[in-house]
Amino acid sequence: MASMQFSLRSKGGHADRAFAGLALAAGSLVLVILGLIAITTGRSSVEVLQDMGAQFFTSDVWSVPDQFFGSLALIYGTILTSIIALMFAVPVSLGIALFVTQVAPIRLRTPIVYVMDLLAVIPSVVFGLWGVLVLAPNITGLYKAIADAVEPIPVLNSIFGPEANGKSFFTAGLILAIMITPIITSISREVIDTTPPGEREAALALGATRWEMIRGSVLPHSSAGLVGAVMLGLGRAMGETIAAALVIGSSQQISSNVFASGDSMPAIIANQWGEADSLHRSALICLGLTLFVFTIIVNMAANAVVTRSERRSQGAV
Amino acid sequence: MSMTKLRVRRTGLVAIAGAVALSLVGAACGSSSKSGGATTTAGGATTTAAPSDLKATLNASGATFPQAFYQEAITAFTAKNKGVTINYAGGGSGKGRKDLADQLVDWAGSDGVIKDVDLPTFKGGEVLYFPTVVAPITVSYNLSGVKDLKLSADTIAKIYQKQITSWDDAAIKADNTGATLPATPIVVAVRSDSSGTTENFTKFLDAAAGASGSGVWTLKSGSTVTWPAGVQAGNGNPGVAQIVKSTAGAIGYVDLSDAKATGLSFAMVKNKAGTFIAPTVAGATAAAEKATIAPNLTYFAGWAEGDLAYPIAAQTWILAYAKQTDKAKGEALKAFLTYVLTDGQALAGSVDFGKLPAGLEKQAIDQLAKLQIPA
Amino acid sequence: MATVLEMPSSAPGPLATPPDLHAKHGWRTAKSSLMSVLMGLSLVAVMIPLGFVLWTVLSKGMGIMSWEFLTSDIPVSDRAQGGGMGPAVLGTIVITGFATLLAIPLGILGAVYLHEYGGVSPLARFVRFMSYVMTGVPSIVMGLFVYTVWTLRFGLEGVGGSLALACLMLPVVIRATETMLKLVPDYLREASYALGCRKSRTVLTVVLPAALPGITSGSLLAVARAAGETAPLLFTIGYVTKNNSNLFNGPTTALSTQIFRNATSPFVGAQDRAWGAALTLVALAFLFTVAARVISARFATKR
Repeated sequence: MASMQFSLRSKGGHADRAFAGLALAAGSLVLVILGLIAITTGRSSVEVLQDMGAQFFTSDVWSVPDQFFGSLALIYGTILTSIIALMFAVPVSLGIALFVTQVAPIRLRTPIVYVMDLLAVIPSVVFGLWGVLVLAPNITGLYKAIADAVEPIPVLNSIFGPEANGKSFFTAGLILAIMITPIITSISREVIDTTPPGEREAALALGATRWEMIRGSVLPHSSAGLVGAVMLGLGRAMGETIAAALVIGSSQQISSNVFASGDSMPAIIANQWGEADSLHRSALICLGLTLFVFTIIVNMAANAVVTRSERRSQGAV
Repeated sequence: MSMTKLRVRRTGLVAIAGAVALSLVGAACGSSSKSGGATTTAGGATTTAAPSDLKATLNASGATFPQAFYQEAITAFTAKNKGVTINYAGGGSGKGRKDLADQLVDWAGSDGVIKDVDLPTFKGGEVLYFPTVVAPITVSYNLSGVKDLKLSADTIAKIYQKQITSWDDAAIKADNTGATLPATPIVVAVRSDSSGTTENFTKFLDAAAGASGSGVWTLKSGSTVTWPAGVQAGNGNPGVAQIVKSTAGAIGYVDLSDAKATGLSFAMVKNKAGTFIAPTVAGATAAAEKATIAPNLTYFAGWAEGDLAYPIAAQTWILAYAKQTDKAKGEALKAFLTYVLTDGQALAGSVDFGKLPAGLEKQAIDQLAKLQIPA
Repeated sequence: MATVLEMPSSAPGPLATPPDLHAKHGWRTAKSSLMSVLMGLSLVAVMIPLGFVLWTVLSKGMGIMSWEFLTSDIPVSDRAQGGGMGPAVLGTIVITGFATLLAIPLGILGAVYLHEYGGVSPLARFVRFMSYVMTGVPSIVMGLFVYTVWTLRFGLEGVGGSLALACLMLPVVIRATETMLKLVPDYLREASYALGCRKSRTVLTVVLPAALPGITSGSLLAVARAAGETAPLLFTIGYVTKNNSNLFNGPTTALSTQIFRNATSPFVGAQDRAWGAALTLVALAFLFTVAARVISARFATKR
C-alpha cells in the first residue's frame, strides 16, 4: 500500500460529463430514429388514407391501374400464412424444448442447442431460394393428391382445393414454420428451465412417470411463458418478407383454399415498391405501418405474458 | 489485471477492430475489378473502332423484355471501352421509368410510353425515346405432348379472364382442329411488377378482342392490370418463364429470347390477316415495319397489318434525359446509344431480337444530336 | 394442478399401502414412453427439412464454389454459366462492416446510458421501451424509411444499405449489452469508485471489460443476422456486376439481393450462382455464430 497516491481533486470532471452526455446522446438516438420513422411513414400514409378512407382496411381489392387500394386481402394473407406456420411450428418446437430439457441425456443438450442456434441464423433468403427452386415445384403433386382425396368432403374440399399451386399460402406457411421453430424452441427451453427442480422432483418422488411429471409440474408452470414464446414466433412470421415474397404466388385474393396463390403485406411491398408512384407508394407505406403496428401489438403482448410468468415463477406474483 | 481479463479485452477489441478494419480497407481501396471466366452466349464482332478513352459508370434499370439484348450489347461495348461500366438492373418498365424520374439511374429501359400525367414527375426535364429492338411476345405454355398449339386473340382473352379454365375447352379445340388436348386445368401466369410486356400484351388483346373488336376482352390495357383472382405472378420476364417451366398446365406471356432460352413451347397466334403465325424475329420485324412512328419515335408494333406480321410484336426504347448533367456520363451514354443503334444491331439476332426497320434506325441516330452534353 | 397420481384402485386410503415405486404401471409407463418418443420425433421432424435445406445448399453450392467464384465478376448476361459473385461478397462484407461500425459503438453507449446513467428515470424507461419497439420494425419498413430519407436524396449507394442495417442492429445491440451490463456485479463498480475513479472511467475500464465477452458474442450474433438481411437492401443499394468497394459512390450489390434476384430466374447458370451465394452467406453466418459461442463459452464470467 506504499505509494498509492490518489488526487481527490476533480481532474477529469469535464471528460466525465462529456462521456455522460455522449451516452445520453447514443440512447436518445433510438428516439430520434424511431421518431423519424414514425413521422415519414405517417406523413406518407396520409395520402392514401385520405383517398380511401376506411375502405383501405375493409376492401379486398388491390388494383393499381384503378388506383384503388384495399389491404384486406393482404392482411388475410399475412394472418393465414402465420396461422399455418404456427400450426406446424408450435407442436414441433414444444416437443423439441421438452425433449431437450426433460428427456435427452445431459450430454446431448449442448449439441442440440448449438445446432438449433445455428439453424436460427440461416438467412431467410436462403429458405426462400430453397422454397422456390426445390419445395414449390415438387410439392404440387402432394397438394393435388390431397385435393383429390378430400374432394367429396364438404368443408375440407374448399380448404384443400380445388386449385393446387406450388406457390401458395400453404407453401409460404411451411417455410415460415421452418424459420420460426428455432426461436420458439429456444425461448420455450428457457421458460421450461425456470421450473423449480423441487416441484419436478416432488412429482417424480410421488411415483409420477416422466410424462405425468411434465404435464403436472412443468407445463402448468411454464404455460404463460410458452404462450409468450409462441407469440414471439408469430411476430417473426408476420414480418417475414423475402421467403414469403418468393413462394406465396403474388395474387391478391381472399380464398379459403390454402393451396391457392395469395399475397402478404411485406411480400407485396417488396414486389411493388420499385415502380410505385405517389398514391401507390403511399398505400405501400401505409401497409408497412399497419404491419409494424401488428408486430408491435403481438410483441408487446408476448413480452407482457413472458415477464408475468417469469415474475410469477420467482414468487413475486 | 489478471491474464484472463487482458485476454478477454484483447479478443473483444480484436473482434471489433476486425470489423472496422475490413470496412476501412474496403472503403479506402478504389474500385477494382477482376474479370472471371464467364462464357456468354454470343460474340460481338464489330468493324468500327469506338473511342476507348471514355471513363464513366452508367446505372440503368427497367424493362426485362430487352434485357438479354442489352446484356449482350453492354458486354460487347464495355469490352471495347474498358473505362465504361454499365449496370442494367432490370426490374420492369415501371421501375425503370420511376428510377429515371427520381434520377436514381442514368437511363431506363421501357417497353411503354410515359403517361402524360407522370411527365411532371421527371425531375431532369425532357425525356428522349431511343428505339432499340423489336421482338415477339410469345404465348408460352407447359403441356406435355401438345405441340404447335394455335390460339386466337379471343381464346387468349378468355383464358386470361379465367373464362376458360381447362385445356380441353371447346374454344381451344376450335382453334386447333384435330388436335387432342388433355383435361389439365390452366394455370395463368402474369407479371407481379409494373411491366411494359404486360402493357404491350394487353394492348394487343384490347386491339384484337377489346371494345372495338369482338368485345371479349374487358380488362383494358396497362403496365399493371387487375387480373382475376387465382393467377400466379412472377417477377420480370424470366420470372414468368420460370413459372411456366415449372408448372404443368401453365400459360404465360414471355419475350421470345427468354422463352427459347428456358426451353418453353409457344403457341401460334392468329394475326389481323387471319393467319396463325409463330413468334419469330421475322414476324416481329414485319409488324414493326407497318407501324406509324410518332415524332418522338414512339409507336406500337402490335396487331399490325400484313400476312407475315406476328400479332403480339413489341417495341422497346431506351429513355434518357435530353439534358445530361455530367460530361463523362453524357459522352459514355451517347457512345453506348450510338453503338446500340449501329454495330450493336447485329447482335440482336443472336439473342432472338429483331433489328429496327431501316427508317426508324436512321431517325433514332439523328435524335442522338438532341442529347445536350455539358462541355 | 392436474391429477398426477393415480392411486392403485385397491388402496383403501392414502397411508394404508404406499404405491410401489418400482413396479411398472403398464399403461402409464407406456404413455410416458410414447410421449418421449413423440418429443424425439419432433426433433427429427425439424431436422429433416432443415437438414434438407442445408444439404441442398451444400451440394449445389459446392458444385460451383471455388476461389474464382468468390472473386470473379458477376456475368453481365444472366444466362451465362460460370462467373462468380465477387462483387456481392465484397458488397456484403463492406456494407455489413460499416453497419457494424455504426451500430455497435452506438449500441454499447446507449446501453451504458440505460444501465449506468439512466437507471429507472422516466427518460431511460422510455428509451428502453422504445428500443424494444424498434426491434419490431419490419425490415422492409426500415428499407423504405432509408429509401425515402436517404436514397432519394443521395442516390443508390452502399451507405444507404449500411444505414438501414445499422438501424436494424442498434436496438438488438442495446438490449443484449444492457443484459450483459446487468450481470456485472455492483461490487466491481463500488470498488472502482472507492479507488477514486470517476463514473466514465469506471465504465470504460471496469464495467465494459467485464461485460465484454457477452457484448462481443451478442454483437457477433447481430452481425450474423444483419449479413443475411435482404429487404432493407433491395431498394437502397442498386445493382452492379463489378466490384465497388466505395460505399459512398454509386450502387453496389450484396449476396442476399443477388440470391433474391436469381431465385426467380429460369436460367441454370443464374440459379447455380444463387446456390453458391447462399452457401457463402450461410457459411458467413455460421462463422459469426460459432465465434460468438466460442467467445462466450471461453470467457464466461464465473459467478
